[in-house]
Amino acid sequence: MPKITIDGKTAEVAKGTTVLQAAQALGIVIPRYCYHPSLSISGNCRMCLVEVEKSPKLLTACSTEAADGMVVRTDSDKVKAARRDVLEYLLINHPLDCPICDQAGECGLQDYYMEHSRAKSRFPQEDKVRRQKRRALGPHLVLDNERCILCTRCVRFCSEVTKTSELEVMERGDHSYIDLKQGKALDNGYTLNLADICPVGAWTSRDFRFKQRVWFLKRTPTVCLGCATGCLMEAHHNDGVLYRLVPRPNAETNTWLCDHGRMTYKAVRAGDRLAKGVIKNGLIELEPALREAAGRIDENHPAAAVLGSPWLSVEDNAALARLAKDAIKTENFCFDFPGAQGVKDGILINEDPAPNARGARLVKDAYGGIALEELRARIVDGRVKTVVTEARAAAFVRDAVKASGARLIVFATNRADIPPAAYATLPYACYFEVPGTFVNFQGLRRRAEPSVAAPEGVRPLWALVNRLAAYSGASLHLDSAADALKEIVFK
Amino acid sequence: MISVKKVDNRPLNLLERLYLPEIARGLLVTTRHFFVNLFNPKGMPTVQYPEKTIPLPHAARTRTRHRLKVRADGSPKCVACFMCQTACPAYCIRIEAAEYPDNSVEKYPAVFDIDLSRCVMCGMCVEACPEDAIAMDTLEIPGGALTRSEMLMTREDLLRNLPGEAPSVLGASNRLANEYLKSKGEQ
Amino acid sequence: MTATLLAHKDLLLFIGAAALKVLVFLNGVMGFTALLTLAERKVSALMQDRVGPNRASIFGLALNGLFHPVADGIKMLVKEDFVPGRADKLLFALAPFFALVPVMALFALIPFGDYVMVFGYRLDLVIAQVPLGVFLVLALSGLAIYGVFLGGWASGNNFTLLGALRGAAQMVSYEVVLGLTLVGLMMIYGTAGLQDLVRAQGKLLFGFVPAWGIVVQPLGFVLFLTAAIAENKRTPFDLVEGESEIIGYFMEYSSMRFAAFMFSEFVEIILVSMLSATLFFGGWQVPYLYDTGFVLPGGAALPLNHYLVAALQVASFSAKTVFFSWFLLVVRWTLPRFRFDQLMTLCWKRLLPLALFNILLTGAALLALGKL
Repeated sequence: MPKITIDGKTAEVAKGTTVLQAAQALGIVIPRYCYHPSLSISGNCRMCLVEVEKSPKLLTACSTEAADGMVVRTDSDKVKAARRDVLEYLLINHPLDCPICDQAGECGLQDYYMEHSRAKSRFPQEDKVRRQKRRALGPHLVLDNERCILCTRCVRFCSEVTKTSELEVMERGDHSYIDLKQGKALDNGYTLNLADICPVGAWTSRDFRFKQRVWFLKRTPTVCLGCATGCLMEAHHNDGVLYRLVPRPNAETNTWLCDHGRMTYKAVRAGDRLAKGVIKNGLIELEPALREAAGRIDENHPAAAVLGSPWLSVEDNAALARLAKDAIKTENFCFDFPGAQGVKDGILINEDPAPNARGARLVKDAYGGIALEELRARIVDGRVKTVVTEARAAAFVRDAVKASGARLIVFATNRADIPPAAYATLPYACYFEVPGTFVNFQGLRRRAEPSVAAPEGVRPLWALVNRLAAYSGASLHLDSAADALKEIVFK
Repeated sequence: MISVKKVDNRPLNLLERLYLPEIARGLLVTTRHFFVNLFNPKGMPTVQYPEKTIPLPHAARTRTRHRLKVRADGSPKCVACFMCQTACPAYCIRIEAAEYPDNSVEKYPAVFDIDLSRCVMCGMCVEACPEDAIAMDTLEIPGGALTRSEMLMTREDLLRNLPGEAPSVLGASNRLANEYLKSKGEQ
Repeated sequence: MTATLLAHKDLLLFIGAAALKVLVFLNGVMGFTALLTLAERKVSALMQDRVGPNRASIFGLALNGLFHPVADGIKMLVKEDFVPGRADKLLFALAPFFALVPVMALFALIPFGDYVMVFGYRLDLVIAQVPLGVFLVLALSGLAIYGVFLGGWASGNNFTLLGALRGAAQMVSYEVVLGLTLVGLMMIYGTAGLQDLVRAQGKLLFGFVPAWGIVVQPLGFVLFLTAAIAENKRTPFDLVEGESEIIGYFMEYSSMRFAAFMFSEFVEIILVSMLSATLFFGGWQVPYLYDTGFVLPGGAALPLNHYLVAALQVASFSAKTVFFSWFLLVVRWTLPRFRFDQLMTLCWKRLLPLALFNILLTGAALLALGKL
């Protein structure tokens, strides 16, 4: 175990630890551009230069292994001068177009310049090397070669994480620039991570482009509901509008976030967002829609069924179970969603596109219910005439409903989700608007936190279930999402 | 130079403690003002704004109604960097950015509203502007509107150069615009 | 029918004359009040080297702000009439009337002229001739406390209640001084009827000085004016309302109910002005003007028509009222507000002893002059 001293603080670190990592463990921040904890070490940006005793030259902290008895200084005049000079070097050809750059506010060049340099450049503005600006690459990204500092984080990401190797540094020396390899397209499903890891404004997101300045954004930690992987992420929003989703790197599940997951926020403000109920394609106020749905359920309680949904939170599934058991008093309810789970591409994307099949299983453990096959059979043979479910879960019984002509009452957030066979549709607030608990494919409990307000008049699903039960003459006493969780046991 | 006013805090004498002589003195002052102004209304400093205006004193000339500078081709010099909106203490600026399809200066303000009914005329937006695009040198004092909508200045109301002014070419992000205009001129 | 009417001719004439007087006099007062709301702002503006309101116009005709009372009236009429949820609805509705009605009733006692002969009938230029007018004035002005207190209490708001408590304490306190300052007058003139008081002030002292209240009771006048302003709740004694700084008893009022409180304040200004004129400045008296015309002390005389004399007297009374109204506005915009403890100290420790001393002095003087 090598013992290393950095700025007078001594620590014993595992063999193979780099100086940069050791410093991080000691709470000393060494500036860096090319180093990324999840990528291989490149050592090309020279920003992390530190002074090591007995070494004639400054060494890059990111690529130097800690050795026993090593004495490192990160705050000597030599190091400070080196940082200033490296920054000046990196900025020689930088266009300084921060006003039109989306990275401004979270840019490594801006931050380190203010922290370590503040020097006036000795190179005239007119002599800067011009490169291609504003070039759309792939469906999600824009590349600005002028702003690039050639840290090659993006190149390494594509070759190491997605293993698709679309990007390469072209040419040499002063002429070098990042470009697509011939015949490749930048569409590997994880491209937006490039915008995150790019320390400058070379890679920017086309979706987020010019929408909002980053310093206006508020951050809410939440969870991605794009698939059963349940990646932790952060929702960035301002004034009640979501602008982007970025990963919250964690040891259990994810460092990155896939492009599909990053676009899930679009449904929240999509044009087909439901704010009113729908009865047979006609929009109707929420209360009459609820009354109509309750009326249909009340026509024949034993012939009504409730199907949970792996797209709903544990709270909302539990509320549906209470609706079936305590209000409708039917045995026809199902919270059983069998299906393969597991990361299918080796990175993040899961085989199960629904986020909460394991959460629904907890509801099944608490309340029981029949199997999905059994429910399908009961719909087909006419024992079940009305099915209450969530819009996307309706696909599980689509064929059975089609065959028997059973009436479908669904909860939906967007019009596009409504199945064609739906008789009545009730709008509910999505999980960017109300909190919810999810269980990912690893069995980890994930919490979705609300970041924006629901559209006027749109309420959480458990609240709608409470109203439905009230119209059916039963009280479920659901005053908050937590009320629904009372009988659920998390493992 | 700070002027210091010495306050005489001596105790009141008998006459002053009787109130009445002092009240009479005060009434005399106010009555004098009343009659002087009653018979000589022209002597009052009030100006019937906005119908009448007077030339601005020097200190007030530096911060008058805003304008957005215009490039030689008529496009706004502003690149929608949101610096003024960020600096504004009154939250009176609203910008929506958009992108030129052809011009290599990518960003421009599709919406640039200044709500003058909120503006405190502090000039922070001018200080913050990195592109020399917003200025408060029109020598017009905003105000005197009957509806709120009259106080809202949109991009179209703001865009103008002063008479005889050559279009400004300052600002790092305007480098591209200047080159673009030059190349268009050469064609 | 005709016979019955003729039998009650005197009564009918009396009622008709009274109605006519009420109509003319009250309308005059109301018109003047409306103008006073404008004058308050104009006078304060001129005192502070400003122009004051001058924007309200009808068809572009602004007349230097003359239409502002009209604009205010329209504004008050169309504003939301808000009643707080915790208010006592009945008392909340009644309070503005309690504030306004007693003040309006007081005008019945004010003599605005001597008398005119109309078709051989003698028409007294006062609505109600009450022998003990001064006491009725004090009694009715005491009723105005109800408006303040009910308004503050019925709003169901702690802050209005505090304002009302302050107001009630202030008005009750100054009521005492107000009454005592008038005792001296009544001792000298030997009457408590307002018309009689005015007539008594028509006499001459030493053959050439009009025997006005101010001459025989200078201290009484200062005390009366101070107490009257305090009773009226105007600056420097306006901490009942404290327009912008302290919360007053009518905080929860809006629309015309608020206007009633506001209006009563301006009506009170006129009332105080009229009382000051009546009690201390000879009311409708013009120096050396008698029923037959001017008779100067030297003996020179200028005979005048009876109607001209009556008109001059009414004009004299009006001029005095206008002057005092103006004076009250000037006082209001000159003096800063008292603290509540200063207000109470002034009342009980300064004005009250002085008022008692004034009575003593008056009594001693009368004794010395052998008029008792």
